[in-house]
Amino acid sequence: MWRAFLSLLKKDFKLMLSGKFLLLAFGSLVLYSCYINLIYVGLDQDIYPVYLYDPFHTQEMVSSEIIAVDSTEELQSNIEGGYAVGINAFSGTPEIVMVSSNMRSVDQYRAAYAFSLLSPASSVAAERIGADNKEMKSRREITCEFLFFELAAVGFLGLASTLFKEKQMGIIRVHGVLPVSKTAFILSKLILFLLSDLLFSALLTVINLGVAEGLSVLPHVCLQAGILSLLMALVGFFCAIWLPDFKQFSLLYLVLAVFITTPVFLAGQTGIIREGIKYHPMYHLFMAMKNAYRGVSSANGGYYMVCGLTFILLFLLVRQVLVREMAKEG
Amino acid sequence: MITVENLIFSYQKQKQALHGLTFSVADGEIFGFLGPNGSGKSTTQKILTGILHGYGGNVRLFGEPLKEQEKRFQERIGVLFEFPYLYTNLSALDNLHYFASFYPAKRRRDPIELLTVLEFKKDFMKKPVSSYSKGMRQRVSMARALLNNPELLFLDEPTSGLDPQGAVLFRRIIGEERKKGTTIFLTTHNMMDADLLCDRVAFIADGEIKAIDTPKKLKEENSNHQVEVHYLYQGKRNMTVIEMPELKSGIPFPYDEIISIHTKEPTLEDMFIQYTGRGLK
Repeated sequence: MWRAFLSLLKKDFKLMLSGKFLLLAFGSLVLYSCYINLIYVGLDQDIYPVYLYDPFHTQEMVSSEIIAVDSTEELQSNIEGGYAVGINAFSGTPEIVMVSSNMRSVDQYRAAYAFSLLSPASSVAAERIGADNKEMKSRREITCEFLFFELAAVGFLGLASTLFKEKQMGIIRVHGVLPVSKTAFILSKLILFLLSDLLFSALLTVINLGVAEGLSVLPHVCLQAGILSLLMALVGFFCAIWLPDFKQFSLLYLVLAVFITTPVFLAGQTGIIREGIKYHPMYHLFMAMKNAYRGVSSANGGYYMVCGLTFILLFLLVRQVLVREMAKEG
Repeated sequence: MITVENLIFSYQKQKQALHGLTFSVADGEIFGFLGPNGSGKSTTQKILTGILHGYGGNVRLFGEPLKEQEKRFQERIGVLFEFPYLYTNLSALDNLHYFASFYPAKRRRDPIELLTVLEFKKDFMKKPVSSYSKGMRQRVSMARALLNNPELLFLDEPTSGLDPQGAVLFRRIIGEERKKGTTIFLTTHNMMDADLLCDRVAFIADGEIKAIDTPKKLKEENSNHQVEVHYLYQGKRNMTVIEMPELKSGIPFPYDEIISIHTKEPTLEDMFIQYTGRGLK
């Protein structure tokens, strides 16, 4: 039993190498790390600059972060970019002047922030939890997003591409007459890609968060990475066997990639959370991953139960399509 | 070795592939299973090799019901597919070592020895399969089927893709396997293979066995006992068909020289068409 399983693992590892999957994963690791360290952490944009036109000095308690201007024309030109906020206090009553972002909540936030700078003493300082600085926060967020993308999209494609090779060679059918179980055939691939994904996750985390921070969140990250890796590998397995050719697979991959990455960019990058997003299964996986990068395990028992059931369901589906593939004609 | 009783199988509810097949294959026998495409021969072979489940009727292999046997019975069988399915990124030896690893050590045969018997070019043994010709791939596939020293060997079109020399070699190897006591279930379109190798053949069409017997008996039973005589008479070449009993009293017509006399014995393909009303292809 174990001898046969080791043979399957060895063969799958050779296929993985010949498919240049590890090279691709290594390339992604280098690319993501370079982007995070050389570009992303340097992209820190200041919060909305606030310009004040107050020729009669009607506002007494003004924050040092406010930039004073001498004319309405100057005020107008500074806010034209659509990011900065202007306050016109010519009449004695401060009025907000800004180019709308076309998003009501964002505009309200910008206006509230600008007003808060007019009376800084009255503002209440928020309680600070943890010791994250701004750079570390950025590193956690972007590393989490890259890892999620890598595991969801590239991991899915990796297993499917090796399986497509075997399918094209017709070799899957031979395994139907060998004294080896179909479960072992599936598990060997899953375990290999799981190990590869866990190694990738650990390296990406440690390289971009630093050794101390990286190691502190690694158990949580590995748990979530493992769940995502297994689920996506099974989806990839199913699609590769079920679909007759690579063209159809590529099309489905495109649809899935959009479907999977949508919540990442909505919830992760823009902070826009739509009402229906909680019904998106990948959103929960992404949020669990995000929390893992903060070193907390927010996912509850229900989450793990659903993941477990999904795994079992996908595994049974994969087994079913594998049996069908083995019985196919040449 | 194989006992099949009233075997039925349906791919869908409306599409019944097998309609109650009944046959048996004795130990050490070479049994030919002949039929046109879509006749049900592949389905039967898939059931016998444990690929397809959900069939009706009784199938016994090695004296035990197939349904009650675990995956382990596949340690005792060898299967050669119609197409040479191999890992093209691996060499012949790597392929064979990989497949051999699934069998117990006591059953395994030496891959190099097998390839040598199959007259496989030595300098290609460690080269990737992608660089092989079809004949070479077929040799590696045959080696894979024989790796575990099978007691029951399923061969699907074994000589397909081989040159005449290769076909002769394969027939010799199949014969040697039989001498060792291996039972062989041969599925083929090649009437010459069936005629030369098989102890008995079964004709299958539309999921039913139409005839089953030795090739010789099948031909004899359906022979019209006629001979075709080619001869010269008065400077002209002629041909006449006469009934065999007429020969007892010699050639019953005038001639100057007999060129040839052939019995008009039917071929296996003639038999097949007679029993099923369909050609093999």
